[in-house]
Amino acid sequence: MHKHRTNCRFSIFNFLAVLLLCCSAVARASSPGNHGQDGRATAAEEKMTAIKGGDLYTITGGIIKNGTILIKDGKISGIGQNIDIPKNAEVIDAKGKVVMPGLVAATTWLQGLRSSREINKIADSLDPFDFEVSLALASGVTTAFVTATSSPYRRVQSSGENPIGGTNAVIKMTYGDLDNMLVKEPVAENVSISNRQWLGKTNFLLNLRKAKDYLQKLAEYQKAKDKDKKLEEPKKSPELDPYIRLLRRELPARLEAATADDILAALEIVDEFGIRVILEGCLEAWIVAQEIARRGVPLVITPREKQEPRKDISGPSGSTMENAAILKKAGVRFAIVPQVPVFGLGAMAGRDLMALPMEAAFAVSGGLDEQTALEAITLTAAEILGVADRVGSLQAGKDADIIILDGHPFHYRSFVELTLINGKILYDKKQSTYFSHITHDN
Amino acid sequence: MKKNRIYILLFLSWAWLPSAGTGEEITVIKADRIDTVTSGLIENGVIVIRGGKISAIGADVKIPSTANIIDARDKTVFPGLVNPCSVVGLSGSPGGEPASNPHYRIADELYPFQDVYRRILQAGFTTLALTPGGNGIAGQGAIIRPVGLPPRLLPARRMAGESVDAGAGQTPGGMLITESGLLMIRFEANEKAKKVITEAFESAKKDIASADPKIKPLVRALQGEIPTFVRCGWPGAALHLLPLLKPYEKMKWVLVAGPENYRIAEKLAKAKIPVIFPAQIDFEEFTRNRINVPRILAEAGVKIACVPIMDNAEGHEDFLRQMAELVKYGLDKETAKKSMTIHPAQMLAVDYRLGSLEVGKDANLLILSADPLEVGVKIHQVMLEGKIVYQAP
Repeated sequence: MHKHRTNCRFSIFNFLAVLLLCCSAVARASSPGNHGQDGRATAAEEKMTAIKGGDLYTITGGIIKNGTILIKDGKISGIGQNIDIPKNAEVIDAKGKVVMPGLVAATTWLQGLRSSREINKIADSLDPFDFEVSLALASGVTTAFVTATSSPYRRVQSSGENPIGGTNAVIKMTYGDLDNMLVKEPVAENVSISNRQWLGKTNFLLNLRKAKDYLQKLAEYQKAKDKDKKLEEPKKSPELDPYIRLLRRELPARLEAATADDILAALEIVDEFGIRVILEGCLEAWIVAQEIARRGVPLVITPREKQEPRKDISGPSGSTMENAAILKKAGVRFAIVPQVPVFGLGAMAGRDLMALPMEAAFAVSGGLDEQTALEAITLTAAEILGVADRVGSLQAGKDADIIILDGHPFHYRSFVELTLINGKILYDKKQSTYFSHITHDN
Repeated sequence: MKKNRIYILLFLSWAWLPSAGTGEEITVIKADRIDTVTSGLIENGVIVIRGGKISAIGADVKIPSTANIIDARDKTVFPGLVNPCSVVGLSGSPGGEPASNPHYRIADELYPFQDVYRRILQAGFTTLALTPGGNGIAGQGAIIRPVGLPPRLLPARRMAGESVDAGAGQTPGGMLITESGLLMIRFEANEKAKKVITEAFESAKKDIASADPKIKPLVRALQGEIPTFVRCGWPGAALHLLPLLKPYEKMKWVLVAGPENYRIAEKLAKAKIPVIFPAQIDFEEFTRNRINVPRILAEAGVKIACVPIMDNAEGHEDFLRQMAELVKYGLDKETAKKSMTIHPAQMLAVDYRLGSLEVGKDANLLILSADPLEVGVKIHQVMLEGKIVYQAP
């Protein structure tokens, strides 16, 4: 049904399976040319591709029934109901399918990066053949935020009293293709403060004040240096660099703030220094939703995370499944990620990034509208990561990172059938060994 | 009387060792089959050896009257095996951050009196490249004849008051074919490793005439005088490596590959990078699909050399069987033969004297009961530079 090239590892699996059946012997993996995408990539990019007949969940422009998407040079060149398909275009028939932008994971814990020694630059350590990348494609996740530290919640590399450090990046799951994998690095400052971390917040504030002081002196110096040649340029210690980037609002700070008082403490810092902040966890955000909304701080939340109310405080506390719905009502923007943001074969199925839509669907159970829940795993996540100009919705001009599903993304029975990044098919359910054997009766 | 007995012992125990070639001795091997590897199979052929080198080879070769004749009827003669990348008998590799230590030489760290070398020689390997470990630029590898002496012979020699200079194999110098045969790099995809490697080569580029032992080997590697071996585990890491080394055009580099590298077979073929890979049938990651990586690489046009799966005496003793298994599962037989002789010799840049049976090359050869890739093949004799160094019991 789908007319397309098979150009990734899944075709290798398939080929092998057939070969093994035929000879029941050890076989070679593939004929030369069956793996590796470059070589033919350039030719493919010049060619047009059309996805025809599906229901297009555009995210920004509602659902286009029986629509067409045109892809040229890896970008969406046209989208709508009345689109002429050029004769030479490769046509993917998506009749009866759901077509939507590739999912964006606002937090990912990529084990492939973790296993390497200390990483100061993710671009230098990316592995496009990482097994997790192929699992991400099979799960419909095409873009992800990754850090280079040992846990998604301990993002700061130097432990102890240093509350800032380590790098992070937004990557695309371009299996086998290193050149197109990195989107941006870094996209935030990794900050770790909480009332359980000794001196963390103290040092964070101290350095922010030092940096602010330095910037003030620098401004004064630049104003006066022409008049007074004897003036010396103020000195700065290199450890202040990340703080200066925060104060200049070049990068946002990403920090975990689970409880209402953690969130309020972070908001206080926003008020004092005017820095951009992305808060993660935010289990009790519903309690202080108005405060968050007032400052326009975006969140990364996990709707299924639970915690019982605390008996030792007078106000409301603990988790609620209505968290996302209340935040939406207050006007807070948020992305949704699962509690354990990994792609892997271990732990419990349906609770990691391989079932990202399930996490968003749970927010719908708690009263959130479907549109916002979809945005939380596509466009809003992309906005929070600072890559919404390229991904997160089906719009002309954006990267052709597209997934085709056999049903509504929030239906427990739906599967991703096809995943495209930059217009190239990198996953085909039928060709892979992951889910190709699973079919439903209807 | 006691002294005499020691002399006899010494004579017996050293009789198999190659002595410094006199150039006068002529040996002739008459065999049913001579597999030259590079110029086909010669049936009912003759090899004439003078001064440790092959002076004539073919079916119609005149046999000198003074020659010692080795009758290898019903036998196959095959070049001595070459292992291009081993750490056998070396101290464990250091861990730690990537660093630049091009001055580190295996030749200076060699402990030749290890029985393991003799066992490897008896397994048919007449040449071995020993390579340093350590992250980053690890140092210089040595190309050796694996002629170890069992340690127990040492006291006897000392008691007899023998001169130490007793020819090949008995001193570290005699064991060495090339002291600085290659530059070894261990690469992991990270910022630090890239920085260490790039900075080292860039500084060497600026200081080409330097005699500094920390720079000179880098210059030689840059100019392609010695090959550069890069150990690089995963194919993703190799993708980081390719652009890193691309600017150094003269450099002759060889990828010492880990599993899964068949995924970049086409890229390696295009960049003409030869690959060293264990003679192993692998599993595709997280599957039960078995894959013949050497075959995939070879068929994509990559020049391959195979090394034993286990880098120890047992691994080398099992090597021909491992190679036969690769052939059983589809690796071209001639390619398999090349991948254990001439290809590794080419990668080590010693193919002008090793790796095949040709006039002018060292008489390093094996006398086998059958084709080397035949199941159950037996090594009857191993010849190193014209001397029989192993005779099967």
